[in-house]
Amino acid sequence: MQRRQFLKGALYGTGGTLVALSGLGAATAALNPRRAAAAAPVSRKTVYSSCEMCRNQCPIAVKVENGKVVKIDGNPNDSAFGGVICARGNSGPSLLYDPERIKKPMIRTGERGSGKFKEVSWDEAYTYIAQKLKAVQEQYGGEAVAQTSHIGPYDVFFQTIGKAIGSPNLFSHEATCPMARIIGLNTTFGTAAINADYANTKYLLVVGRNFFEGIHVAQTRAVAKALSQGTKMVVLDPRFSVLAAKGEWLPVKGATDLAFIMALANVLIDEKLYDEEFIKQYTVGFDKWAAQVQDKTPAWAAEETGISQDTIIRVARELAQAKPHSLIEYGWRTTFTADDFQLRRAIMIVNMMLGNFEVPGGYYQVKDAGTLKKVPAMAAYAKKLGPVKVPPFPKPKKGRIDGTGEKGTPRQLTPIADGAVGQITETILTGKPYPIKAWLVHRFNPVMSIGDTEKTLAAIKKLDLLVTCDVYMSDTAYNSDVVLPECTYLERTEQVFDMSGLTPKYVLRQQAVDPVYADTKPAWQIYKELGEKMGYGQYFPYKDIDDYVERQLAPTGISRKVFAEKGLWTPAGMKPFYVRSGDAKAPLTLLATKSKKIEIFSDAVQEATGAGVPVYVPYPQPGEGEFRLIEGKVAVHTNVGTHNVPVLHELMSENTLWINAQSAAKLGIKTGDTLIISAGKYEHKGTANVTEGIRPDTVFCYHGFGQISPQLTRAFGKGINDNKLIPDQLGSVGNSITSMTFVKVRKA
Amino acid sequence: MAKHYAMVIQLKKCLGCQACTVACKFENKVPDGQYRTKSPAIGPSGTYPNVKVFFEKQACQMCQDAPCVKVCPTTASHYNKDGLVLIDSHKCVGCKYCMTACPYDARFINKNTGTADKCTFCYDTRLTKGEKPACVTTCVGGALLFGDANDPQSEVARYMATHRTEVRKAQFGTRPSVHYDYEGVK
Ligand code: SF4
Ligand code: SF4
Ligand code: SF4
Ligand code: SF4
Repeated sequence: MQRRQFLKGALYGTGGTLVALSGLGAATAALNPRRAAAAAPVSRKTVYSSCEMCRNQCPIAVKVENGKVVKIDGNPNDSAFGGVICARGNSGPSLLYDPERIKKPMIRTGERGSGKFKEVSWDEAYTYIAQKLKAVQEQYGGEAVAQTSHIGPYDVFFQTIGKAIGSPNLFSHEATCPMARIIGLNTTFGTAAINADYANTKYLLVVGRNFFEGIHVAQTRAVAKALSQGTKMVVLDPRFSVLAAKGEWLPVKGATDLAFIMALANVLIDEKLYDEEFIKQYTVGFDKWAAQVQDKTPAWAAEETGISQDTIIRVARELAQAKPHSLIEYGWRTTFTADDFQLRRAIMIVNMMLGNFEVPGGYYQVKDAGTLKKVPAMAAYAKKLGPVKVPPFPKPKKGRIDGTGEKGTPRQLTPIADGAVGQITETILTGKPYPIKAWLVHRFNPVMSIGDTEKTLAAIKKLDLLVTCDVYMSDTAYNSDVVLPECTYLERTEQVFDMSGLTPKYVLRQQAVDPVYADTKPAWQIYKELGEKMGYGQYFPYKDIDDYVERQLAPTGISRKVFAEKGLWTPAGMKPFYVRSGDAKAPLTLLATKSKKIEIFSDAVQEATGAGVPVYVPYPQPGEGEFRLIEGKVAVHTNVGTHNVPVLHELMSENTLWINAQSAAKLGIKTGDTLIISAGKYEHKGTANVTEGIRPDTVFCYHGFGQISPQLTRAFGKGINDNKLIPDQLGSVGNSITSMTFVKVRKA
Repeated sequence: MAKHYAMVIQLKKCLGCQACTVACKFENKVPDGQYRTKSPAIGPSGTYPNVKVFFEKQACQMCQDAPCVKVCPTTASHYNKDGLVLIDSHKCVGCKYCMTACPYDARFINKNTGTADKCTFCYDTRLTKGEKPACVTTCVGGALLFGDANDPQSEVARYMATHRTEVRKAQFGTRPSVHYDYEGVK
């Protein structure tokens, strides 16, 4: 039958297999049978809040009918979002009412990883955790407790536990994602709070980022707006992403992006196309960079990257022509190579050669209240959020397990708030530099996110305690000793978020409905109660989250009512503020470096690595019969967190392995074939998607599939878990390395 | 003058992100596994490295000469006062004639109601309140325009006056109100 053909329409790059009919009652219908609509009277309200279907916290307007969330829209009061949210944001109610959420605290009863748990009261769970932690602390010291989270508003509460214990080993997930960029920015600008003004740029060169599948609503819209105004976009990516489809695709050889960037600098210098005035006035160390790129000619880069010399020269000229309103994007997940942070530095250095700092269509320093204080004419627009003071924490007795902060080593550059999360499993297994015996995990899934799933599972087996707090029985939760159910973002209020950009902005996540499952709790409450149980009550001096918010708002003079009415606060009458838009020579008083200059040559990087300006390092390329395995995001899923959400699972339940048509032909592989993907140590089955949209030496899959927790009944075992194939390999600054895995592929 | 609601889809701007797909599901309480709209990938076509792909949002085309209305034995499928093709679920007997007649495969039997279902341009829930359809409001790529084509000042009228747009399957003579601009993708 050909009817409803369009409903079978596939998402991009899935090999036409998607749209599974999950038939699970939780998605939309069962909760809202159409007939119920007739029942009078309906109470309706709209609650302004902030999305958490991914980390981006987009402002939302939650429509509540008779105490139930029926629809989520973007918050129309925020012009950067214009009432828009992505597919994941739209699917919020599907998570909220999912019967597969975890509903009660649980303690393991069977073997680790057996999935056998008993439901317990919160008090039992706290008591159990407190006792186990105390035992670890007494035997091994506070440093034997590690904490990891994805990164988010919960951290201030979650990490208070580890700080109170005296552990230095607090980790964010950043090392598996943007940390190399953060370091690139820190070492060049003295801060990582540098944003790009995509909407106003006239020429955009993107290095491996994918705004149209890794959606960040405000930024995705800004790029879309620029394109609709005629901005030219060039995309370096071994794969033909949706973004690449909207611009000029340059299928760059993996791990060679730095060669392309250095050759751009070479051309800009050679043809005197860079902004000399800018470089003179605002930067230090340009001569050392010029010397470094002197032999990085387009001809050389063409060999390295597989992109023609003419193209490289043309892109350099086009960037120069559009300067200062042209920009090279600095990347999102920056885990390509061991020295990825140097690529990010190089990108920013070439940006500065375009003079695109603090002008429309370029980069700018985030104009939060703290930054505006340094600009007298602007200081009155916003006041900083109040600190919520707590007593000083005990000083950890030992240094971190990952060497973060150690002078004279690359890890000197690693932000202390992030660390090298991939080190944890190694340390658990080896006991070096000292044992880690307890691991607290919040809304993070190391089994699927720290390279080498099997290694993480083996490490978990050696622990005395693993606690995971999540909304689902994630792969890590499933292997834990204690599982704590957090309520979803729609069921909790959180502290005020600073979401400043070209103007200051504060956003508040506000509880829209009562918890659907009465025994789930918000993070702030969980850790406050656990802390109190452990005798650390003094570190949680606020009564509740409303008290916390009041303390934040007190010095700002902003009333909580503003958030109830609008969901966010921005200063009235302030225009987007670029320091140099009116006067190209305006002093950059807000620069955060010690030298007060943009550091093309960085003393800190020199001290840490010996390479004060980025140096080209050639990396291995796949040999005969091998492919580089790369992975990325899809617009309907977030990392490894949403694959079990009914509506999103229904849209995309499985990933496939993209393989170039010619390469596939050589191996006799056709779309739909079952493949064995082999990374030496490990193998994984997968389904082939034969495509013209990828380099012949590269294979690709979307990340986050092939989950191993059987209690995620929908997502369990569907598709390829790329994380099983990618080793737990750390780069110089502790960044995970995810694009250096070579695999072989054969028909099953 | 009577209204003529129309939608313009700029394919160049569509990201295939499916925000529209999900927004529609919740706005209209569409059952699991069923959809009033989707934006599937067309392609990729071409040969490495000269490849193309685009996304085509599909749903009821709001025909002004609608085969589904013609074949409906109970007048459940009808034109409302604003010229939109809607389904009166009280009259629908689930005979599926309309599903067979629709050249765009836009209809399905709603699992919960047992009656025919399809895109309504969000008539009851949004249009009558002066809001744009849910898919248009949430469109991440900014690909969707919506308004009264009979009002020359409307965004859709102005767009269609200055751009070349097409209707799908024009050969069926259904006179759709959903217009596609293929510029930049074909
Ligand atoms: S990008 Fe999408 S999922 Fe992420 S916060 Fe925004 S709306 Fe939510
Ligand atoms: S697209 Fe199909 S369902 Fe919609 S009006 Fe036309 S014929 Fe009827
Ligand atoms: S107009 Fe309304 S019913 Fe039609 S596809 Fe868009 S959201 Fe769905
Ligand atoms: S929301 Fe807009 S951009 Fe995304 S798939 Fe739908 S029409 Fe395309």
